[in-house]
Amino acid sequence: MNANDTMVAKKIFASYYETAEFRIPRIEQREFGIGNMKKIDARHLNFGNAQEFRNYLCNNTPLFVSHSTGYYEFPGASPMVKKCWKGADVVFDLDIHAEGKYGAYAHLGRVKEDVMRLVNDFILNDFGIGRDNVAVAFSGNRGYHVHVRDPAFLSIGSDERRELVDYIMGQGLDYTQFFSPSDTKPARLLGPKPDEGGYRGRLARGTIKLLEEDPGKLSRLFTKEKERGFFISGIQEGNWSRTSLKSGDLVSRLKGVAATLPVSSVDTDAGVTQDLSKLIRVPNSIHGDTGMVARIIEDIGAFDPWKDAMMREAEGGGTGEMKIRFTEDVPAIEMDQTLGPFKKDDELALPRHYALFFVLKGSATISG
Amino acid sequence: MAEGLEFALRYPFSDSAKAALSGMDLTERIVDLAAERLLKALKGDKSTKMLLHDSDRKEEIASFAAARMILGQMRNGYMTNMFAVNESKRVRDCLDRDDERTVDAVAAQFGISTTSEGKKLTIDLPTYLKFSTRNPHYRLINRRLVRGRVEINYEEKKRLIEEAVKKHMESIPLIKDPPDIIKAAGARLIAELPKTESRVLGNIKPGDHPPCVMKLLDEMKKHTNLPHQARLYLATYFLAIGMNEDELTKMFSMLPDFSEKITRYQVGHIKKKEYNVASCATVMTYGLCCAVCRIGSPLNWHTLDDFRKNAIKERGA
Repeated sequence: MNANDTMVAKKIFASYYETAEFRIPRIEQREFGIGNMKKIDARHLNFGNAQEFRNYLCNNTPLFVSHSTGYYEFPGASPMVKKCWKGADVVFDLDIHAEGKYGAYAHLGRVKEDVMRLVNDFILNDFGIGRDNVAVAFSGNRGYHVHVRDPAFLSIGSDERRELVDYIMGQGLDYTQFFSPSDTKPARLLGPKPDEGGYRGRLARGTIKLLEEDPGKLSRLFTKEKERGFFISGIQEGNWSRTSLKSGDLVSRLKGVAATLPVSSVDTDAGVTQDLSKLIRVPNSIHGDTGMVARIIEDIGAFDPWKDAMMREAEGGGTGEMKIRFTEDVPAIEMDQTLGPFKKDDELALPRHYALFFVLKGSATISG
Repeated sequence: MAEGLEFALRYPFSDSAKAALSGMDLTERIVDLAAERLLKALKGDKSTKMLLHDSDRKEEIASFAAARMILGQMRNGYMTNMFAVNESKRVRDCLDRDDERTVDAVAAQFGISTTSEGKKLTIDLPTYLKFSTRNPHYRLINRRLVRGRVEINYEEKKRLIEEAVKKHMESIPLIKDPPDIIKAAGARLIAELPKTESRVLGNIKPGDHPPCVMKLLDEMKKHTNLPHQARLYLATYFLAIGMNEDELTKMFSMLPDFSEKITRYQVGHIKKKEYNVASCATVMTYGLCCAVCRIGSPLNWHTLDDFRKNAIKERGA
């Protein structure tokens, strides 16, 4: 990105920051980091309140701004040990790494589904954390951040956080342990019921869902409605024997269902959750690689990054088009509409937020 | 001080113990008892003294606080860990003998509170995470977890308390300017500590082994008590890369509950039976994985070039 591109981008960022709404709990206890060349060029910054933070962003306008998940007695002190750690939000980073600069964007929908499962099934249901203590934000690029701010969890250490990640990722999950023979004659196969919590309930619900949607995947037997209905009625009561399949065979056939239960896209960034002094993108700040807002999301299901994460006109995003020249080939991308493909040296006018996206990705330069 | 002196004697970290000590001065007799307590920890003697007179009991209770002062002044990881392991095991013996009400009173000291649901007990998730050991039996994935409550049984509850005691004992406040008698007792104890640190560990440089192994070695250097799976993993790993039984036994001598006889037998047994080194998937199941290496087996670490090793180290824990 050349100096002119950077200047134009920063001007747009600054006008956004003039009115941007930040919701950073205990801002005065957090460390901040900013970056222009890299995501973080400088850290150990701190701000007494939201207004100070806003002033800084408007006057200095970095391309990236992050805050600590941790709370400190002295957030501006360095080295780290002098900050006096008081606790940290539990943060989960979900994203997709795919081939090429634009490869991940096709999978954003899948990550969103994982975010919904993570929040609803794991954080709210299993961990028992209230919705008020969970904030979900788009990362501004190819994933999502989930911030858990329940006071009871703030003081847990790195190992304990890793245990939560392992649980979510299903590390060491042995679903065969959920089944046991009854001591009646003949022995019935006792297993989880759909109304149970945790992985047990999820396995029962997942199995019923598969039986209803694609029964042949489990066994050809269940394509017959009568056989299927009888088996499902058993699962509802925790009796998995209402089928002619042998117990051992049935349990091993459930492997596929069990594999869908964990949330796999947390995997790639397990380290984020464990790091007690991690700096993470400030929710509602702009991602300097895309120009998209790391938007705080109220309704995850309805969120569409290509519409909702773009800077709105009223937010300083501006209207009209911007003329850019591509400096490399870009494949077609499915946004809210299909954009591209573009060839190197193509010169065209695009709506401002799309133009800015390609400039910040390093694939184009402003020519108008 | 509802629980009385007998309770305070068994659980000298309790509020009852603190109340019993109010107004007492530190005497040479108490410091001697404290040194005796620490020596008992070095020997692995986890008995609790039976004392008849209240004055003796109070001195014994005070010896616990004085022992912590000595440790705070010594800042010796080995001694602190030996003390933490021994005291937690001693407390566990007491818990096994005491009734449920007493166990609850001890649990309350660490914010551990359980709710009965029929025959089962449940505990809140953050507390469970803080005080459960990272062994497969206690892995969250193998537990019933509903709305932030983890199901445990009574035995497991006592194990959580034991771990809480150990953690409490490990965090010793720094004593900057202790009384002279404490300093003298610390100096005497230093003479009792094993002199040689394992040379095997001294020769290992960062990057020689995968991050999970390095982390366990770091913990061992600090004399932390490692769980069974971690020891088994280290033994199979180091045997596989060619360390001999003598060196391995010497390495394990850093552990606070080290017994040469038992270690030699175990290491010999592992070698004889040719146990395989755990795969990365198993290491994860044990809760010992601390990085995302994607190498399948820890032994594959030795096939990586320095660039990959560094990338993993930076990405890892």
